[in-house]
Amino acid sequence: MRIRLTLGLTDRPGTLLKALEKIAMNGGNIISIVHNREQLTGGYVPVSLSVEFPSREHFERARAGIEEAGIPVLGTESLERRIETVIIIGSLSVDRLEKVFEGRGEIISLAFGGGSRSPHMRVMFSVNSEDRERVLEALEELAEKNNCVLVSEEA
Amino acid sequence: MIRCGIIGYGFLGKKLAGYLTRYKMRGLAITALANSRGYLYYPKGFDSDNLPADITGHTSFRASNPLEILERGLVDLLVTLTPTNVYNGEPGLTYIREALKSGVDVVTADKGPLVVAFRELTSLADSMGVFLCYEATVGGGIPVFSLARHSLRGDRILSIKGILNGTTNYILSRMHFEGLPLDLALQEAQMMGLAERDPSLDLEGIDSACKIVILANALLGADRRLEDVKVKGITQVTSDAILAAKELGMTIKLVGSIEGGRLSVAPRLVRLNHPLCVHGSLNAIQFKMEILGDLTLIGRGAGESTVSALLSDIEWILAQKEASRGGR
Repeated sequence: MRIRLTLGLTDRPGTLLKALEKIAMNGGNIISIVHNREQLTGGYVPVSLSVEFPSREHFERARAGIEEAGIPVLGTESLERRIETVIIIGSLSVDRLEKVFEGRGEIISLAFGGGSRSPHMRVMFSVNSEDRERVLEALEELAEKNNCVLVSEEA
Repeated sequence: MIRCGIIGYGFLGKKLAGYLTRYKMRGLAITALANSRGYLYYPKGFDSDNLPADITGHTSFRASNPLEILERGLVDLLVTLTPTNVYNGEPGLTYIREALKSGVDVVTADKGPLVVAFRELTSLADSMGVFLCYEATVGGGIPVFSLARHSLRGDRILSIKGILNGTTNYILSRMHFEGLPLDLALQEAQMMGLAERDPSLDLEGIDSACKIVILANALLGADRRLEDVKVKGITQVTSDAILAAKELGMTIKLVGSIEGGRLSVAPRLVRLNHPLCVHGSLNAIQFKMEILGDLTLIGRGAGESTVSALLSDIEWILAQKEASRGGR
């Protein structure tokens, strides 16, 4: 899994190296490092790393190791996107559907079928991996409120 | 001689009695055949020549509460095959409870009692030192519980998913392959004897939800009830929606799942090459194991195949009893 990690480094030599060691020890492959010296906040220099980890467990161990070394993890973000399809049986407003994806993903394509008697829509969307469950829950809630049925994909 | 009684002498009861009299398992004899109106007692044990086609019209039929066969101590092992009642588990619940209290081993295909009172019944069986076996309640003849308890016992079950209802799977398959609307596919299933006259328990996902509850309680140590399952049936699924799925190399199936403590039954999009994508009235059950990974069992989930599960439970109980007597 690919993760963006933002670390708060003190401006002392060797701090970044300590963090990189923890990442390497847990199988992390560093894709990029961005050092924002000019954004010094609260005494920390934010450093943004994109890292490919073999699994979430490896990432969690690396994160714990970094924090144990006294380096604050200011933020994490999954850089993995999933493309999924759902079918919503029934009639639903597209505006409401789009709201579900705000800040969490986007609709790639929408196809309508079934005519007015038995309408359905096929929705293909991309979503951040970590938001997948929440998006599906929100879609299910929206479908239920509108007397529709959400048919999501079996993994 | 182990004396066996069967309460419920319909299609399954007759098939089971037929196989038991032919197989003559480890000295087992059917001594009582019962239904809700009374029972027929034959102390020598029925054989295939005198097994009645109907018990109520038989000259020796005793019109009485079938529990009398327990009160009079006429059986050592009871098989219950009563109609499904998911709301209070009756009449099967009382039959099973009373049998266990009387020290009688029980084999059942009844989902209702296990959905309503799983822990009560299994604890009662434990405290009385008798067996309560229910392989036939989930997946018909597919050996779900025995496989999980014996062959998978060193591993850990992470999740269970399945196509657990043959009726809805038949209907969805006909909608997928022939483009039939749901009501027509249902009528066809009813004509073929695959669906009840009142198909609501199947179509609304309740039957699948019952099986999910039994699986969670029996294999994952849970203590769940029907109301703990999030259930959505297939009544709103249209053939157009299935066509839309088909265009993506998928179809719609009613999938029951136990995952991360959540129990659900819902129509899901399933890829045509997915192991759970079985058609017709077949059932499929997939275990995700910690070491083994995915394991999928596919088989006939209803009808005569259920007798295979009943026979397996009976044979297992007889083997345990024989072993405990040192007659291995």
